[in-house]
Amino acid sequence: MTFLRKLALTTALVAGLSASAMAEDVKFGLLQDFTAVYTFVTGQYNQGQQDYLALANAEGILGDGNTVTAIVRDTGNQPQRGIEAYNRAKEEGAILFDFLSTPVSAAILDQASADKNIVITPAHGRGDASDGTVFPYVFPMMPTYWAQAAALIEYMKETGGLEGKKIAIVHIDSPFGREPGPILDALAKQEGFEFQAFPYASPGNEQAAAWSEVRRYRPDYVLIWGAGGGQAVSVRTAIQNGIRPEQIHSVIWLAETDAANVGPQMKGVKRFEATAAGTDHPIIQRIQEKVITPGKGSGDQANVGNSYYNLGVATMAVAVEAARLGLEGGQPLTGDTLKAGFEKISGFDAEGLMPPVTYTAEDHQGGGAGRVSEWDGEKWVPVSDWKAAYPDLIRTVIEESAAKYKEGN
Amino acid sequence: MFYRLSGTYHTSYQADRKLWKIPTDRWLVIALLVLAALAPLYVSPLYLGSYVLPWVIWSAAALSLTLLMGLAGQLHFGFAAVMAIGAYASIHLVRAGVPFELALLLSGLIAAVIGTVFGGAALRVKGLYLVMATLAMQYLVDWVVVNVPAISGGAHATLRTPDVGFLFLPIDSLASRYWLALGWAVALTVFFMNVKRTSFGRALVAIRDKDFAAAVIGVDPFRTKLTAFATSSFMGGVTGAILAFCFYRAVTPEQFGFNVSIQLVAMVLVGGLGSVIGSWLGAGFVLLAPIFLTNLVSGLAAGGWVPVSQNFLSHLPLMIYGAMIIGFLLLEPLGLAKIYDNIRKYFLVWPFRHARS
Repeated sequence: MTFLRKLALTTALVAGLSASAMAEDVKFGLLQDFTAVYTFVTGQYNQGQQDYLALANAEGILGDGNTVTAIVRDTGNQPQRGIEAYNRAKEEGAILFDFLSTPVSAAILDQASADKNIVITPAHGRGDASDGTVFPYVFPMMPTYWAQAAALIEYMKETGGLEGKKIAIVHIDSPFGREPGPILDALAKQEGFEFQAFPYASPGNEQAAAWSEVRRYRPDYVLIWGAGGGQAVSVRTAIQNGIRPEQIHSVIWLAETDAANVGPQMKGVKRFEATAAGTDHPIIQRIQEKVITPGKGSGDQANVGNSYYNLGVATMAVAVEAARLGLEGGQPLTGDTLKAGFEKISGFDAEGLMPPVTYTAEDHQGGGAGRVSEWDGEKWVPVSDWKAAYPDLIRTVIEESAAKYKEGN
Repeated sequence: MFYRLSGTYHTSYQADRKLWKIPTDRWLVIALLVLAALAPLYVSPLYLGSYVLPWVIWSAAALSLTLLMGLAGQLHFGFAAVMAIGAYASIHLVRAGVPFELALLLSGLIAAVIGTVFGGAALRVKGLYLVMATLAMQYLVDWVVVNVPAISGGAHATLRTPDVGFLFLPIDSLASRYWLALGWAVALTVFFMNVKRTSFGRALVAIRDKDFAAAVIGVDPFRTKLTAFATSSFMGGVTGAILAFCFYRAVTPEQFGFNVSIQLVAMVLVGGLGSVIGSWLGAGFVLLAPIFLTNLVSGLAAGGWVPVSQNFLSHLPLMIYGAMIIGFLLLEPLGLAKIYDNIRKYFLVWPFRHARS
């Protein structure tokens, strides 16, 4: 097997060399959890990533015959398997990694930074990694959970006001579920609302106890903070407890599948989104035309345009753009030049698929802009514009937490 | 053929009590030990850091668990929690300024104390009921770690291990981390082989086979069961600390979740209950087989041999892995250790058919 792979590699190398002496094959390690906890997102997300890379190669976005290849492996959300996959992909020459798993990212963060390899943590992982001065090689690249919480609070403020209102945050009992805590604490003081947290036990298949408490609390707004199967349970149990769908606001992890699981009651539920859903975008159209139609897609066609699929497309669109900018000037692409490429990105919006992002040496979150969308019974419809909510507050929280990390936490 | 017995006479009690009575066994062990000790010299960092090192540490964990499950017959489905206690205790102790060597011992003791408290359930219940009690320990420890920021390390629940040295050897390079882990695993292995031959070991076996019969012949079930939990938890706690400092170097609650407990039980069962070599083989199998299979299947897919979707591709290794576990257990219900034993016995009397024992 190894022999075959080597043979294929050598042939490809020889062919590549004869075609263009300078052409480079940039390798991205997409070492994700396809089989354990993150299965609700990984399949579609990774499909979007691979399809976009296929499009980038078909269109020659990197120029000069440069190509980009994905090394895809399952880690089963187990840190030790993630470490193995990381070390192997590193040997194969990967310089950018996406683990889409908080425990695996946490286990590799230090090592990858020591190796000067880029780790992207879109919509997962540590929020404080947005501080590029402390985490030079980590790019959260999209709104952190803190920015997401702030965006949802700001949306509530704009639609119904916050003064004297009550917000219930119903979350999974895990570090991830606790992420919005500090933001809510700070905003409650600033905006004059009160909130209470209602945790439910992981994985959240049963949340009746939490929601009957919520019912007694009589909240004006409800924030749901979970992922996977628990999200549909949250929405369903909320409605059973007399919460109106319009009151429910969700973290980014609420998608078409959850809507299908909840059924018609879902109409009116809102969520944060970092990328637009649907197929009505130039990039998705071109993926349809140049990747899916010729049969080069990496998965089920029905997924194209789903929220998580588009999220995957957007991550790779940014990463490929960074690689393109990093290759400018003709130097070979390494972790350092790729980092420089990221930090050259300014106002990039993947042709409207996502809000314009700008990365600097300090800000690896890219501004933290997102928007809120609402389920209209068939699809997600945006109900606000792309913008970053409370950016100063978010930045303060990021810097405080990053400073603690620097001290050794 | 290999295990030639003719000419091997045990003429003194000392010779008859050796750990490895047959010269071939002895030479095999010495050769393996030398190979293992020199591994950093000839194994590439990829294989040393991602395969050999975790294998050695998880073998130590499996040995700790098999003392309890295999020798003493007390089922434990929360052993990852014991390791978590060791890992978190050691990190906090080192951060508080305790020398690493002492912190390892203390973390083992802390794990032993907490493990014994939960082991107290074993005094009243057995079998599946004990499984429930130990499961409760798993969930309680998980809950405490996640809900007490002082333990888990704040918002992101990630604690990085400080730089430490062990007996003047700085534990920073891959080789030094590997040697420390190997030293601990070898120490546990030697301890385990010897404990089977002590009165304590025999008491454990007596308790396993029938606790009230053991009480009738003068073994105190109360003391023996609690000592079994304490010993095993001590070993597990130190192994957890070794895992944190030598392998992960950043500790998060997920590293010691329920699924890890199940993996440990699988290691012990697939390897063979109460067996030393079984712990090593079982840990190797449960830990590394999924990785090898994933790489194999991905390699085949890259060569165009398996034209399936990414999703199915990721689940294919799991299917093969599951089939392998069932296959091994059907072939030999006593685990990988018994398969090894069968092979060894075959060569012991080759060219004849039957070994005596």
